[in-house]
Amino acid sequence: MANLKRIIRGELWYVLFLIPGLALFTLAVLVPLGMGVGYSMTSWDGLSPSAKYIGWSNYTRALADSDLWSALWNTFKYAIVITILVNVIALLLALLLDSYLKFKNVFRTVFFLPGVISIVLSGFIWKYNYAIGIPNLFSYFGVELTSPLGDPDYALLGLIIIAVWQGIGSPMIIYIAGLQGVPGELLESARIDGANTTRTFWHITLPLIAPSITINMLLVLTGALKVFDLVYVTTQGGPAFSTEVITTYIFKISFSSFQAGYGTALSMIFFLILVIVTVVQISIFRRREVDL
Amino acid sequence: MKKSNKLGLCLLALMLMLTACGGNSGTQTGGTPDNTPQGGKAAGNGEKVTISFMHFKSDFTDGMNKIVEQFETENPDIKVDVQPVKYDDYYTLLKTKMAGGDVVDVFTLNAGAQTKLFVDGGYLEDLSGKPFLSNFEQSVVDSQKTDGKNYIMPMNANPIAVFYNKQIFSELGIEVPRTYDAMIAAAEKVKAAGKTPFALGWKDGWTLGMWIGRDLPSNTALVANQPDFFEKLETGEVKFADNPAIKTTIQHAKELFALGNKDQLGVDYNGVVDLFAKGEAAMMYMGTWPLADIQKKNPDIYNNMGYFPYPFSNDEKLNKLEFNPDASLAISSKSQHKEAAEKFLAFMASKEGGDLLVKNINSLSYVKGTDTNIAPAVNDLKPYFDSGDMYDSQVYLAKTTIDWSGQLIQNLQKLFFNKATEDEVIQAMDNWVQKNHK
Repeated sequence: MANLKRIIRGELWYVLFLIPGLALFTLAVLVPLGMGVGYSMTSWDGLSPSAKYIGWSNYTRALADSDLWSALWNTFKYAIVITILVNVIALLLALLLDSYLKFKNVFRTVFFLPGVISIVLSGFIWKYNYAIGIPNLFSYFGVELTSPLGDPDYALLGLIIIAVWQGIGSPMIIYIAGLQGVPGELLESARIDGANTTRTFWHITLPLIAPSITINMLLVLTGALKVFDLVYVTTQGGPAFSTEVITTYIFKISFSSFQAGYGTALSMIFFLILVIVTVVQISIFRRREVDL
Repeated sequence: MKKSNKLGLCLLALMLMLTACGGNSGTQTGGTPDNTPQGGKAAGNGEKVTISFMHFKSDFTDGMNKIVEQFETENPDIKVDVQPVKYDDYYTLLKTKMAGGDVVDVFTLNAGAQTKLFVDGGYLEDLSGKPFLSNFEQSVVDSQKTDGKNYIMPMNANPIAVFYNKQIFSELGIEVPRTYDAMIAAAEKVKAAGKTPFALGWKDGWTLGMWIGRDLPSNTALVANQPDFFEKLETGEVKFADNPAIKTTIQHAKELFALGNKDQLGVDYNGVVDLFAKGEAAMMYMGTWPLADIQKKNPDIYNNMGYFPYPFSNDEKLNKLEFNPDASLAISSKSQHKEAAEKFLAFMASKEGGDLLVKNINSLSYVKGTDTNIAPAVNDLKPYFDSGDMYDSQVYLAKTTIDWSGQLIQNLQKLFFNKATEDEVIQAMDNWVQKNHK
């Protein structure tokens, strides 16, 4: 008992250092989340001072909302393609730039640069590229091209190209760091044992950089699922709903249709989906990791 | 001892943080009564008062600033903090600010549904009977009433019509079309001559939205004779399927799309203004706002272009000039400087303010007796201004808050790419209305 008291007196004041961070987290994350849960149970229009409580009906409505499901389908299509493309390309670039290449620092900078530009800006740049730049360039060779963003069949692909161009920088850096952590003696002994480059890569390099793969997969997938700015500045969900993702759908419901209550309920559902995706993904990839 | 010192320091830091937060929220939410007279007094005593002014004429940021500068030189005791916001984001930002307790003293609004929403929320100061309202035509002031009271002051208005390239028209021997069919026939001729008939710019949502937001209500109210269609749509009394005009508009949309610039949904507003200024496109449905841009890019076209009312039907008598109120001004009911804000409105309602507006933002002012000579092309519309052959299709939408146009745009895009038939579009619209508005 006295022991416990001594521990409390001696150690508890450390807790004080947590308070500022904790207060900030509470004010900026927990309180708005709680308020969001409250608003999601109302039919608030987003502006009027009072909101009417309507219970769970926003949530039951969401389940039957076919537009929501098609928006979710678009979101996952976009996110999964991006996760695969970004990781494969970033890993290939990392392998290339980790080898003994002349000017490798220059190349690293070049590939990392698009990531420094804000997404909004790159959206505008590419909108211009697609509509004017690239068609003009190709018209010199007699090829007629039109912007993919104007065609419902290609608009999502157009967005994916922008996102990949913009997003490979930081995963590439993480992979390079991971590759530099692979001990040279393991690779050397594998080579002495007669393993060729492909086998060394599959059986030694890849398992050893598994933590980098986990973190990159996680960051890119959750980032892509939450995409809003890129879609909003380039297509606003169009043409013909082909790039309507969950965030732009929530935005339209809340601000164009004046249904902030329903929009908040959708945000809550989306939050749950994100949590589930993250937990599942971590548990799958963690299993593949190897401790050195 | 040392430990408790540290502890005290932590507590102090924490308290500082909390008081900072507290103080902030206090000033935000408190349009407190004891502050209001202070603001009023300050205005009288010659101390500087700052009012915030948020507007959506961001294309004319410099022009608006010039008007405000003139106001500031005449009222040295008032400083105006101008916040221009792009129209697409304007209402989102304004609503967020209002709902969050931020006070914007003076701001622009569109008469009709948007204003009604702010009136219902109690955010607008009642301006009924204020002396500066007498500078406007009574009919205009009346038409902008909400629930029988004036919460907004009309500012500027725009004709929305079709610009045309006079050179292309005369080369091909085309008369200015007065009916819809004549316009399409003219467009076919232009296409046969290898030029672009319509500069559409439908990459941006608002260009297509502006067109369907006028073609559909005009045809609904004036051709199909259902002036209260959109009110009833919101209450669920009618469906799009009951309205023959929706088929007309879909048909029109298909024809315009087929006769539009290449890559119709890939080129935006700026792109088509370029196209028109280069002399490659014959017609462009637009308000007066690209005029300054066209003048800068190609003065030859600017001096040799015309403007005719968009013929939404085949009945010449119905095809009057679309003339829409653009921005109106409102004062926040929570403003602490209402006196200064009213001075600003009074300035904007004066002949001087109106003329400055015409000169700087290329738009027509509602103030009586102001200049109408804003560009050579607009002079083509003089007969309509003089005879009063004008109408405002937006009054048929004034009592609704339902945002059908965004939804119709996307469904039309499906149609353009053969992903839906006409009937499916109408069906999709009715399903959407049913789901979103009980």
